Amino acid sequence: MKRLCVILGGGLAVVAAWLLLLPPELHARERACVPFHLKTEDGKIINPLTGENADQPYSPRQTCGACHNYDEITKGFHFQQGWDRIRDDFSKTKPWVLSDGMLGKF
Amino acid sequence: MAKKKNEHPDQIDLTTFEWISVGPRDPQGMNQPTCGSCHPGGGGLEFDRDGKRYDTRLKAEPQLAQSLDGDYYQSQWDKTGVVEADCLLCHLPGYNFNERTRQLKMLNYKWAGTAASGIGLVSGYVRDGQQPKVTYNRRLFNEDGKIVLDLSYPPPAENCVFCHGISDVKKRGFSWNDRVNHDVHNAQGMNCAHCHPAIEDPARKITKLQHQFAKGHENVSTVRDDLDYVGFKTCQQCHEQGYMGAPRPQHLSIRPNHLEKLACEVCHIPAVHRAGFEGFDVTTGAMVNYPTMLPPPGAKKIGDEFTWRPSYQRDEKGKLWPVNRFKSVFFTNQDKDGINYPLFARELKKGYDKAKEQLKPKNPQKPELHTPEQIKIALLALKETLQGNKRFQQIKPFFHKGGMMYYLDDKGELVSGPDTTWAGHAEGFNINHNVAPASLALGAQGCGDCHSSEAHMFKGQIVTDMFGPDGKPVTISSGRLFGCRPWAFYVNQFHQTYLTPYVSILLLLLVFGLTLHYTGQGPKGADFTYEPATIERFNVTERWTHLIRMLSFLVLTFTGYIFFYNNVTMLRMFFSTPNAAVVVHWVAGLIFVAAGIVAMALWAKDAKFAPYDREWLAKRGGYLGGKEVEVPAGRLNAGQKIFLWFTAVLTLIMGVTGILLIFKTSLPLTWSCVLSTVHGLFAVVFVAAVIAHAYLGTIANPGTWRALVDGKVSRTWAKKHHSEWYKEIVAREEKEKGSPPPEEKA
Repeated sequence: MKRLCVILGGGLAVVAAWLLLLPPELHARERACVPFHLKTEDGKIINPLTGENADQPYSPRQTCGACHNYDEITKGFHFQQGWDRIRDDFSKTKPWVLSDGMLGKF
Repeated sequence: MAKKKNEHPDQIDLTTFEWISVGPRDPQGMNQPTCGSCHPGGGGLEFDRDGKRYDTRLKAEPQLAQSLDGDYYQSQWDKTGVVEADCLLCHLPGYNFNERTRQLKMLNYKWAGTAASGIGLVSGYVRDGQQPKVTYNRRLFNEDGKIVLDLSYPPPAENCVFCHGISDVKKRGFSWNDRVNHDVHNAQGMNCAHCHPAIEDPARKITKLQHQFAKGHENVSTVRDDLDYVGFKTCQQCHEQGYMGAPRPQHLSIRPNHLEKLACEVCHIPAVHRAGFEGFDVTTGAMVNYPTMLPPPGAKKIGDEFTWRPSYQRDEKGKLWPVNRFKSVFFTNQDKDGINYPLFARELKKGYDKAKEQLKPKNPQKPELHTPEQIKIALLALKETLQGNKRFQQIKPFFHKGGMMYYLDDKGELVSGPDTTWAGHAEGFNINHNVAPASLALGAQGCGDCHSSEAHMFKGQIVTDMFGPDGKPVTISSGRLFGCRPWAFYVNQFHQTYLTPYVSILLLLLVFGLTLHYTGQGPKGADFTYEPATIERFNVTERWTHLIRMLSFLVLTFTGYIFFYNNVTMLRMFFSTPNAAVVVHWVAGLIFVAAGIVAMALWAKDAKFAPYDREWLAKRGGYLGGKEVEVPAGRLNAGQKIFLWFTAVLTLIMGVTGILLIFKTSLPLTWSCVLSTVHGLFAVVFVAAVIAHAYLGTIANPGTWRALVDGKVSRTWAKKHHSEWYKEIVAREEKEKGSPPPEEKA
């Protein structure tokens, strides 16, 4: 019993030391996802091991969107790039500019 | 990008469909990103301007591909699919950005993410009329068919750099994690997301989930300015708060106005070590980019290892920022509404193809429109090409280059002038990354890092036009771009470059000359200090006024010397901070001016010129010639009178310029340049005059100094040096005794 405690204690110490000595960027990084099913754009599971829809590209909307709010995420400027504000009459002084993002900017 | 509603194909440039895959498709250009490479999907790559998904709508309404709808004109959305927001582009380490580009160029829109993430191989291309197929990498999958991906949160910097590294070469500086072009924050293990986190701002109804990333401000494209600095920590905020252990520098050796007027980046990004973007030329119809041209011979291509120094530009608050100033060689057409419309690439290509035969460029890919003749040829060809173009009501092509615009008048002759159109507005892309540590920042080695005749800050050259008439870059001194008027800048430069280095030598020569005078001629007259001093020459008020003037002048000279030569060592030894030295200088200056006014009031009467002063001047006060010469003088001799009035004028100049310089930061740069130049120059003259005055008032004239200590002189001294004044004293004494003054013996 005593030996078991020593082994467990030693193991914990090694793990703790390893975590403490990790480079800072590894500390900061989190593993984002558990294993998940890829899905086609119409929501069907892709399983290359069984051949199910295995020649279809995966759809981020269906795959990532199964757990994350795809529509909400894509409201961000990185995705919209001005598309959410685009219109033909956006600028009177520069009529070829259609939004204040990079889409329709020039 | 094309408008949604169009009336003629001439009005359509890039549709949304074309825009995703635009770019060279030859083997050499295959890795050059398309617009869709960096736009991660979702938004305009997934839904049309009516909010409908492109592929399903085109399947339902195939006639749209033949319409003039800017989203569907000649598109194949039904075959290519749409580009959904690719989460893996950012969150998957090892994502293959070049493969994404290749897939998009081959119109495999919905397959791009699968291929680029490496989870499957894609064979077949829509562009070639094939139906692409995927072969997944089975080793990434568990037995239950679930995929195991080592995703990263927050995204690794390497993924951000896919887009911001490449485009940053043109836009906002340089890549982040580049050993050649290191960044002190990167070296400390910081990541992009530390400064650009997802914004959480309830007031703007922005949640972290929305992936709205904090941004700074960017002064060229001016995209989403409403989001500038939302959720973003500035240099100042982090380094004042010690955020994430950021050092809290006090900048003790930096003059306070520098911290007010210079962005942190000005000093902390003294140089960049990858060739930047000098500008672009669209003459051929293709975007030809040119890398940094200075220092000669310039870089071979953008992104090459190449050290250059930024240009500088003021923001709306007058603060200076380092920028990569870019130049454009650009064409527009001025329509009937007076607006200059940029020309489409295909229009330019047609025009250039017409002109090419006459232009005979050495390199067909890089046009040469340098001379008026070449420009005229290009404009004529373009005018011919645009005839009948349905998007214009008037054909009047303009050529824009180097801040100038060129067009053809009604007779077909070339007209040129400063570019007053929007295209002539020169801007620079902000440089915010690749921050150097404090030890490498400008100023770390002293003020000479910027204020020396060779320093880039003012004297370094910046390109203003990529190609002058001789085909070579046209340059300008970096300091000229700060906003100072040219004449004021060059006056200041003359002072800084040509005068400052020689001022010490000139003053030393003056001292040497006075030494020669002393050794050659000796002190003037005998030393009468052994005689009892019985005549009051200066009363207490006069002596204190002179003393205050003298002491404040010494303080002004000492602090002024430190500023004149930016002597950091002496600054640190005596004042610890520049601010303290500045305050001491202007407080001493105010005292000196006040004492000067009192001195004028006290001695103005005595400083009136009298007829006998002519003799004094004719005999030069007896100071030259080595012989003892008797010269008449009043209470003040002619030399002292001249000195008094001369220093009155100098005090006025120094006082006015000095008081204005106290408010230097609120003044226009031209004013500051001129005021500091005038202040500096006259300070040197003042010091030279005072050195001569001090010499004459001490060792050259024994007994003179005593008059300033106890205020009294001996009768012999007064008679010897100020004969007319002595006569007045004797006359007054006799008058007080009640008998006529004795006649002077010859």
